[in-house]
Amino acid sequence: MRWVTKLRLRLRSLLQRDLVEAELDEELRFHVERLTEEHIAAGLAPREARSAALREMGGLDQRKEECRDARGLVLLDEVRQDAQYALRGLRKTRGFTAVAILSLALGIGANTTIFTFVNAVLLRPLPYPASERLVILREQPAGSAGTVAVHPLNFLEWRARAASFEALALAQTPPLDVIGADGADQLTRIQTSVELFRVFGVVPVLGRAFTPEETRPGQHDVVILGHGFWQRWFGGDPAVIGRRLAVRDGSLTIVGVAPPGLRIGSIEPDAYTPLPIDPAKPDAIGSRSFLCYGRLKPGISLDAARAEMATVASALARQYPMDEGYGVSVSGLHEYLVREGRPALKLLMAVVTTVLVIACVNLAGLLMARAIRRRGEFAVRAALGATRGRLVRQLVIESLVLSFLAGAAGLVLAYWSTRALVALTTGALTVGSAAPIRLDAACLVFTLGVATLTTLVFGLVPAWQVSGVEPRTELREGARGAGPDRRRHRMRSALVVTEVALAVVLLVGSGLLLRTFSRLVQVDLGFQPAQTITMKLFLGGRPDDARVALVDQILDRVEALPGVKAASTIQFLPLTGLNCGTGFWLEGQARGDPSQALPTECSLVSRGYFAAMGIPLLDGRPFDRRDRMGSPRVLIVNRSFARRYFPEGRARGRRILVYSSNQAWAEIVGVVGDVRHNGLTTEPAPTVFLLHAQTPGYITSLVVRADGEASAQAAAIRRAIHEVDPLQAVSAARTMEEYVADSLARPRMYAALVACFAVLAVVLAAMGIYGLLAYVAAQRTHEIGIRLALGASRGDVFRALFGQGARLALAGLVLGVAAARGLRAAVSTLLFGVTPGDPASYVVAAALFAVLALVVAAIPAHRASRLDPTTALRYE
Amino acid sequence: MLLSVSDRSRVSRPADLVQGTLDLLILRVISLEPMHGWAIAQRIRRMSNDELRVGQGSLYPALHKLEQQGWIEAKWAASENNRRAKYYTLTRAGRKALENETAQWERLSAAVSLVVRRA
Repeated sequence: MRWVTKLRLRLRSLLQRDLVEAELDEELRFHVERLTEEHIAAGLAPREARSAALREMGGLDQRKEECRDARGLVLLDEVRQDAQYALRGLRKTRGFTAVAILSLALGIGANTTIFTFVNAVLLRPLPYPASERLVILREQPAGSAGTVAVHPLNFLEWRARAASFEALALAQTPPLDVIGADGADQLTRIQTSVELFRVFGVVPVLGRAFTPEETRPGQHDVVILGHGFWQRWFGGDPAVIGRRLAVRDGSLTIVGVAPPGLRIGSIEPDAYTPLPIDPAKPDAIGSRSFLCYGRLKPGISLDAARAEMATVASALARQYPMDEGYGVSVSGLHEYLVREGRPALKLLMAVVTTVLVIACVNLAGLLMARAIRRRGEFAVRAALGATRGRLVRQLVIESLVLSFLAGAAGLVLAYWSTRALVALTTGALTVGSAAPIRLDAACLVFTLGVATLTTLVFGLVPAWQVSGVEPRTELREGARGAGPDRRRHRMRSALVVTEVALAVVLLVGSGLLLRTFSRLVQVDLGFQPAQTITMKLFLGGRPDDARVALVDQILDRVEALPGVKAASTIQFLPLTGLNCGTGFWLEGQARGDPSQALPTECSLVSRGYFAAMGIPLLDGRPFDRRDRMGSPRVLIVNRSFARRYFPEGRARGRRILVYSSNQAWAEIVGVVGDVRHNGLTTEPAPTVFLLHAQTPGYITSLVVRADGEASAQAAAIRRAIHEVDPLQAVSAARTMEEYVADSLARPRMYAALVACFAVLAVVLAAMGIYGLLAYVAAQRTHEIGIRLALGASRGDVFRALFGQGARLALAGLVLGVAAARGLRAAVSTLLFGVTPGDPASYVVAAALFAVLALVVAAIPAHRASRLDPTTALRYE
Repeated sequence: MLLSVSDRSRVSRPADLVQGTLDLLILRVISLEPMHGWAIAQRIRRMSNDELRVGQGSLYPALHKLEQQGWIEAKWAASENNRRAKYYTLTRAGRKALENETAQWERLSAAVSLVVRRA
């Protein structure tokens, strides 16, 4: 209890200074008055009595000062003095101050920047009530690490059987074509079962959510607008409820507006429409292609929900053949959204922490050197009666001042670099909430914490060491200009070796990542991304032959445009993360027996696709105009398919049956080259190309190869489409090169950031070597003078100092290479085309650093060897 | 001058002995009843038969220090001549401290007199 009282009193003295002062004043005045009265009683005149009383008090102001002292206010004043003294000292040694602040600011800035991302992506919870209870459910094929989307039948069963969830919602994201003032427009849409808003714990800001009736089978022409879309299209007009939103085939009644910032998974939908599910025929709306979000009941843990769903899944597997071999994966929604960003950020956090440690080690070395240089000053102060605590406090306050200055500079750096990094990480990191990534209060606290911590750890040790000076020996030693203290010297050497080793580790890592990136850039994609532009089209709502005719007419028009070399469509573009897996049967196999189906990926394309995408035809012929709904069914396969299923050659001319919406036996008429459809690092899979004209789809992307700059054709292509159907919506155009750039985004981010930080680390480590040698040279000036005077050659002097630097660098290099080899496992998953032990990366990193270190060591060594013996001998 | 034994017997003594002694005297005096600074000084003088005089005003830093230590508490109240004065009371911690200090003082003074007598 006592310290609480004390703290209260201290705080009172500190915070209510005026009141305390007034009370002190009154208390002393009372005393003076009583004393005056006593003097008057003894016979003095009132005025004399008062001045006598004041005299006896020995000066009221001095008494007050003593009282303030007793209350502990002096400590604060002394701290202020120390801070001022520190600032004065730092101003006097500008070189030291600049180097110390710069290195620490770089370390702190890098950490704050990455922490800003860690905070925004990993730490900040999703912006919904009790968001830790939000989960995403997916189906998990046995024996596979990956998960697949959810089947509507399973969703209905889960909702009926599972007790762990407050609500479960099924959703899908087909685009929605609306007709606005400027023609048709494609919106992002969530089509969802009734519970979606309950799952996310939000209510519409205007109007209402869907009613259960609206998600039963039947036609329900209602829509809830996304908040952003409402602002964009309707200017945030609250009277929008009840109005109608024109779509291709009619209109939808606006019944509500979603709250701002609501993101379903990683998209912020423009519109929400009901997803009617018929319990009698759930697969009428599709198969395993839905998202399922849930909210856990309060008090139900994720593990409990997982255990329950495992039981549910095994019951379903017994009941439905299609669920055989499928489990259910339940993940926290936040966890799921950041699953790809998490390892990246962890790696980067480790990297910047290393940079900070190097900066701190540098700072510790500098502080130690500075403190040793000031031992004389401390000895004098100790001799004059300063206690050890007072000296330590002085030094710690000095480093605190230093680190706060560095923290401020680091914040400025972080402010800039965060903006740069947001651009660099677009497409490389998924963020679960719509809130922008920027410096906020949490980041400020983080910076302050880092700055303070570094000071305490790296300022206290040299402070403690140096404050223990014995004035007598020190003053005597100092007067003789004695050599450096060996123990402290060894400690500084160890610090330099450490920072060199850490820098080498980062350098090796960045070498590996840079080589990975260059390998990725060189990967043979299998198609020619240059001069190719794409746009998404949603064909839904029309009968089969209308969709075929529409695509046919659009292609005719676009092909006729001047400057267009080829035009076609494909359902899912390469490198977009979308594909379609299916099965097929060879001729002579039992048709339709799923257990005998062979796996293949399938792509739904139009005539001219291979020319438009720049994919080489290896055998046979491409699709052409003759291949129509009524003509013989034809297929084209890729090289992997031909090699795997027809290893004897001659895939062309064989007949297979591909499981699809309009399946029929078809002849393979051609073989094309492999494409890295599923990403740069994924080997091409066997793929069969179906023809849209024979198996019409609903979603497709136009692919146009132009003569020159493809993006210049975007407006003309859009016009051509609208000439065919003025109400057909078209998405914004993207070039294939942009998709390639997207899939390079993460490796580019890794390589760029780690390389940046490695350069930073190397510069800091070089500064460390230089600082140590320059300091040693300065300390030994006297000794060098004697040596030179006694006949040592300048080469001897150079070799001695240079040798010391080279030994430190070499020790750091060896240690760093060993550490990097020890850490191989940490980066192996990020590499492509190089092994984690890649000799080139190690050799180049070591050689680069060795050259730099030798240059840096040569400078002070050379300078020392040029000393004039007579000046050196006089040097104190 | 912090505390002086009256002029007749002025001898120099280590500062901290005097300091500690003053604390002890204050604690002892206000253990009788709550008192303001002026009264404490008067009481010390009277109780020591005019032998010990606290320097005018030098009492206050000691009082403030004891307050910060949590040994005494201050409260404003009307004085005997109806003016506002700051009254100090012993806290529980202060009472314990008084016991310790007293015991220590007794040991010390006994030891000192032992030496002085034998010498």
